[in-house]
Amino acid sequence: MHRDYKAKGVKFFFIYKTLAHPELAGGYVQPFTLAERLAHARQGEKQLGASIPWIVDAMDNRLKRALGDRPNSEYILDPKGKVIRKRAWSHPGLVRKDLEELVGKVDKITREEDLKLAFVPPVKAAAPRGVVPRVQRRGMQALLAEPRVEPKGHPFFAKLRAEGDADLFTEGEGKLYLGFHVDPFHRAHWNNLTPPLRFTLEAAEGVKFEKVEREAAKVKAASDADPREFLLDVKEWPEGKPLKLTVVYSACVGEESCHVVKQSYTLHLKRDRDGGGARGAGAGFWGEEQFAKQLLGRSKRGDKLAEDEVRGLVRPHFRHFDTNKDGFLDLDELKAVARWLNGHHAPGAMPPRK
Amino acid sequence: MRTLTLAALLLALPPALAQKGKKLSDEEFVTARPAVGDVIPDVSVFDQSGKELKTSSLRGHYTVLTFGCLT
Repeated sequence: MHRDYKAKGVKFFFIYKTLAHPELAGGYVQPFTLAERLAHARQGEKQLGASIPWIVDAMDNRLKRALGDRPNSEYILDPKGKVIRKRAWSHPGLVRKDLEELVGKVDKITREEDLKLAFVPPVKAAAPRGVVPRVQRRGMQALLAEPRVEPKGHPFFAKLRAEGDADLFTEGEGKLYLGFHVDPFHRAHWNNLTPPLRFTLEAAEGVKFEKVEREAAKVKAASDADPREFLLDVKEWPEGKPLKLTVVYSACVGEESCHVVKQSYTLHLKRDRDGGGARGAGAGFWGEEQFAKQLLGRSKRGDKLAEDEVRGLVRPHFRHFDTNKDGFLDLDELKAVARWLNGHHAPGAMPPRK
Repeated sequence: MRTLTLAALLLALPPALAQKGKKLSDEEFVTARPAVGDVIPDVSVFDQSGKELKTSSLRGHYTVLTFGCLT
């Protein structure tokens, strides 16, 4: 569509925003700096293989906020910058129809196979993964953790992902997940020949909170790229007060450039609305059966989902997934939807064919 | 009078503040500001090389904007 309508003067942009699902593919974690987010956008360009340019949101996510705070929304603007179409979820088929109406049809529609897109895989971890067992933490939500970025300091080779359960957010007492995830963009890995990662979590002086100190388990392998994870029971988060986390770890970039790093964060007992929902070995994927049954909860019939009951990414592909062509998605068809959703971020993963 | 004043204040707020903390349904999103007919807010962001650009520069042609990320 970009190729077809570029010739008619239509401009297309992807807007790169905060990750919707950290850890899903490639072990990606939220960037902490604009330079890191720009690196994400460049990788996105390579993984998609598309020639559509990117606009990159500022680190305060101002454009995402200004345009409705959705992961995959779509807008068409007229030449004066006015919104003339707006969708909660991107729908290329409908965008093509809109553009046909606005600027006219093209003589020959370019198909995906005509483009010969060159995909690249996700950024590879710099050391083996699957070495350290993952902490299971289903149903937790991102907690606001602000890194203290020093202009001349080391990059955050490992980045904190903090999450809380519902009790922690509402009562100040509950589970707190702290995961230190190696950022594949820095090509770093843990140096397991040195003391393991350790951290302290404490409140400001004069604020009542029992200081927490933890150290990760020693790992026999010389290096790996698995996260170092902790699931804490917080008895009483001091009301209205942030906590300070300081972490020390050793990471290497390649074989010879190793660093002992000390970094800190401020944790606030509030949801990080830009943190996304992690999907990974510990946070859980959309299990086929679980997902299918969750979707069926929207069904008026109970056993099948009608097209107008399907939302989001799946809606444009309803007819593809309706393999028995009865106008509904049943449990087996919804399991196929779940399999596609779990893999659709992979490079080269084409949309379901119509 | 207090209710009327509060409602008037909410209407005057920028869209993001008025909707802060409330997750909208897909239908609510479509009618929320900036709605069809509104000019999108003028915001400073970046092109993929890191050069600053303003959304008000997206004029003079039809533009398709799609939000996305790596995962």
